[in-house]
Amino acid sequence: MTDSSRALLETRDVSKSVSGPEGKLDILQNVSLQIQPGESFAIVGASGSGKTTLLGLLAGLDTPNSGSIILDGNVLERMDEEARADLRRRLVGFVFQSFHLLPALTAEENVMLPLELEGSSDARTHARAALEAVGLTARRKHYPAQLSGGEQQRVAIARAFVHSPRVLFADEPTGNLDQRTGHHICDMLFALNRDHHTTLVLVTHDATLAARCDRRIELEEGRVVPSSDPASVVSARA
Amino acid sequence: MKLFLLALRTVRREWHLPELRTLAASLVLAVVALGVVATLSTRIERGMLASAAELIGGDIGIESPQDLPDTFADEARRRGLNATVNASFPSVAFANQKTQLLDVQASDPHYPLRGTLELGDASGHSHIGHAPPAGSVYLDHRALVALNLKVGQTLQLGGRQLTIAAELLRQPDGGELFALAPRALMSLTDAEQAGLLGVGSRARHRLLLAGDPSAVQSWRNWVQSSKLPQGAELITTEQTQERMRTAFDRAGAFLRLTALLSALLAGVAIALAAQRYARRKTAEVALLRALGTSRKRVLGLLVYTLAALAVPAAVVGLVLALGLSQLAWMFASQLFGSVPTVLPIGPSFAAAAMGIAVLIGFALPPLARLAEVPPVAVFRQSMERRVRRFDALYLIPLVVALALIWTQSGSVQLAGILAASLFGVAIVAALLAALLLFVARRVAPGAHPALRLGLAALARRRTLSLIQATALSLGLCALLLLAVVAPSLLQGWRQELPSDTPNWFALNLQDDQRAGFDKALAAIGGSKLNMAPLAVGKLTAINGKPVDAITFPDERSKDSADRQLRLSWASELPPANQIVAGQWPPAHPAQAVVSIDTMWRDMFSLKIGDTLSFNVGEGNLDAKVGSIRKVDWSSFRVNFFLLLDPDHASSLPHTWLASFYLPRTQATQLAQLSRTYSNLSLIDVDALLDRVREIVDRVGNAVRWILGFSLLAGALVLSAALAASAAERRHEAALLRTLGARRNQLRAAAACEFALLGLVAGLTAALGAAGAGLWMGHAVFHIDGFVPPLWPLALGALGAALVVMLLGLAGTRKVTRTSPMRLLREG
Repeated sequence: MTDSSRALLETRDVSKSVSGPEGKLDILQNVSLQIQPGESFAIVGASGSGKTTLLGLLAGLDTPNSGSIILDGNVLERMDEEARADLRRRLVGFVFQSFHLLPALTAEENVMLPLELEGSSDARTHARAALEAVGLTARRKHYPAQLSGGEQQRVAIARAFVHSPRVLFADEPTGNLDQRTGHHICDMLFALNRDHHTTLVLVTHDATLAARCDRRIELEEGRVVPSSDPASVVSARA
Repeated sequence: MKLFLLALRTVRREWHLPELRTLAASLVLAVVALGVVATLSTRIERGMLASAAELIGGDIGIESPQDLPDTFADEARRRGLNATVNASFPSVAFANQKTQLLDVQASDPHYPLRGTLELGDASGHSHIGHAPPAGSVYLDHRALVALNLKVGQTLQLGGRQLTIAAELLRQPDGGELFALAPRALMSLTDAEQAGLLGVGSRARHRLLLAGDPSAVQSWRNWVQSSKLPQGAELITTEQTQERMRTAFDRAGAFLRLTALLSALLAGVAIALAAQRYARRKTAEVALLRALGTSRKRVLGLLVYTLAALAVPAAVVGLVLALGLSQLAWMFASQLFGSVPTVLPIGPSFAAAAMGIAVLIGFALPPLARLAEVPPVAVFRQSMERRVRRFDALYLIPLVVALALIWTQSGSVQLAGILAASLFGVAIVAALLAALLLFVARRVAPGAHPALRLGLAALARRRTLSLIQATALSLGLCALLLLAVVAPSLLQGWRQELPSDTPNWFALNLQDDQRAGFDKALAAIGGSKLNMAPLAVGKLTAINGKPVDAITFPDERSKDSADRQLRLSWASELPPANQIVAGQWPPAHPAQAVVSIDTMWRDMFSLKIGDTLSFNVGEGNLDAKVGSIRKVDWSSFRVNFFLLLDPDHASSLPHTWLASFYLPRTQATQLAQLSRTYSNLSLIDVDALLDRVREIVDRVGNAVRWILGFSLLAGALVLSAALAASAAERRHEAALLRTLGARRNQLRAAAACEFALLGLVAGLTAALGAAGAGLWMGHAVFHIDGFVPPLWPLALGALGAALVVMLLGLAGTRKVTRTSPMRLLREG
């Protein structure tokens, strides 16, 4: 068991359900976990196991039906969406499976976005540095449609790191890439994670990628599966 | 058939999509606007003819210096037409030891067949009636005043003692320029028995007819094939006063303009909605193509889907157009009295066809492109390739718009001005928007965060921003034209007839009476006195060839050549006249010069340098055509077809024709003045002025009515323009929210974005509307000194920017609330 007083991110008995045509559908049930600063943490599981929902809750994009989520000492379910947005802007970075770059902006402009939202006056300088870190200086004036999938994901990584977030959420970051490019992207992600002392929370069903993380949990039908794996350190009170 | 059923199912399934609803609503609106106006215009045209009939008291007639043979009336009755006979002559009346020369009309009891005869009783109440029975007479106000009489008293006329049964308030032909005054209306029987119509009388006899239009035409054909008695001439509705025709022509142009702009607005909304629908369908079409559907079948399905949407929408539009036309006619019919006209259904069907043409024209280009989506696009949208050969399709909406402008405007000039103005607005809007985007890129980094995000948002959707700015500019320009410029044009038109427009004409004023009349008139409150010399003559030859030897192409030309002419002269070009060819004569030309109206040029195929010979009194005058004038006959000024140079004409025997304004309350004093100047004939044109003012007011109401459609069409354009970027906005908002953007940040950015868009659109639209208004005011509506209202236009532009911003913000409410989870769900 890790020391909860040092945790950057913690969930306590988190459950999430939605109403469907066939009644209530439980997506997550009583999930509790702790993630330490600087740690890399993988959430694995089959499709529909609740991985993405959990990631959304951890990042404050949604709120649980019950239980509690604490990010850097902030109890997320007690905050309204505006306050959570503010928190995300200061603490959080994202990398998505589909990159989610804005097609009408150049690579550099896409990277500038989080800084622009903060009102930073030297967004361009920082964006260029971030693009240099992912090796895309030469492509900074290119639009997403002119970049390969791997390059688009590198732009997305630069955007995620440009405002030095404390925690980076990555949702299947290699899901849309070939194995070699995916490997390269992962190297970059872990390297930047290390350099920036960022906490990395990763959703994936790629076992190799999950194995590179310090710790991991596996979800099955919304519950954390108890595991004999020493890296799997969670409490499941189902 | 299977494909059609599939298309029907597609429409049913996709009916919830806002773009499909916009397409349908735009089509309905276009059909309704075009249909209502076309129906109204047709009815107004018919009403105008009916109104002209009111002015002459029947649909057609004959006027003759002799009593007409019965065959003319018999032929008319045989065709089922109603007939009335009357005679007009001057006669002296006696009462209270006073005498007064009256313009007497003696009629049978059927008079009038068209229009109303308004009578006032002793208690001052008015009612509608017919010609008086034997033993009675109606006198107008001036006659009553002149003879110091009241309704119910008696007077002696034509040697008979007659009772004044009523005051003559309004007569169908009460506004005729050369009618005599004061007036009396008596029974034809009395006049005949008194011997007033016998041999040697100066009576003019009239037979007036009314009835079914085809029977009228048939009788007219019969008359034209048989010989009219010596000196007799046909009275037709075409000869109605030019002023009324101008008023109706302008009214029609205004109405068509408003409908046209509504239809064009609907076209813009259709284009935007179709663009969005096509974008939404791209993935579906790629899938269908990947699953093996042929390009032809895809295109067929799209065409059927469009048809399945268009036909019911056009039917709904048609029914609404007919219903609303009926309703509108009930209001408009007040303009023409109780003239029965059936609801014409043709124009509404034509409007439905035009509406479908607008839908096809504006929606086809983006939809036809869909058929070219390659199956491989199912994997990656960027695999879609741009098919150049479809670029030509974008000419279709342009052609449809031009065709619509051409057919609807009814005037080449109006069509040209509108097309050029709207094209200019589109170009300027696109250029301004492009400039804004260019500046945005440079200004954004140093700007306020909200403005920076707003500018970035505009720049992000570069193509959409350009389309939105252009569509909004066109829409706003059309609305400003309708809401600001059209009322201002109407106001300008009304101001042409200010309350002190000359409402009296005095004929037969002699040279030595001019100064005295001027003074006497001023003493009783008359103003705006204007005098013009008037000589009465006859055209004898054109270029030396006697008129009798010339074969004229039509009855009208022949008639004009035969009748007495009114000649005048002036040293300077009178107001409301414009030289269109040649030059106004110098101060002392060596040879007599005549300036002719364009109607004369057309009637007798005259050109500069031709010689016209006139016979005036005892003398003859040969004059060269020195200039051709366009005369504004609606100006209520004294105007002439023929104007001679004063050097050669002032020695001709002549009298003077005066026009002046006199408040209605001064009619009694004028009656006294007319006794001093007993040779004068005074004509009151107040009734005619009232009628033109009434038309302006009614047109104003009709324009406001149709403005309602335009506002709806404008709202559709706005919603379609905003909806065009809704999907991108939602995705963008979700991403920005995920990255930590506050809702206020998104709102402020959207406010800046829409305010900028609205400013570009408002500014361009205001400039376009001002330019088009100025151009139309002078070239089409001929309103002198018309300046479009610049402040209202500027305020309108700012207001438009504000409305675009507020509606844009309202439309983004949902967008700013998009859950950021959406991105994770999308992968």
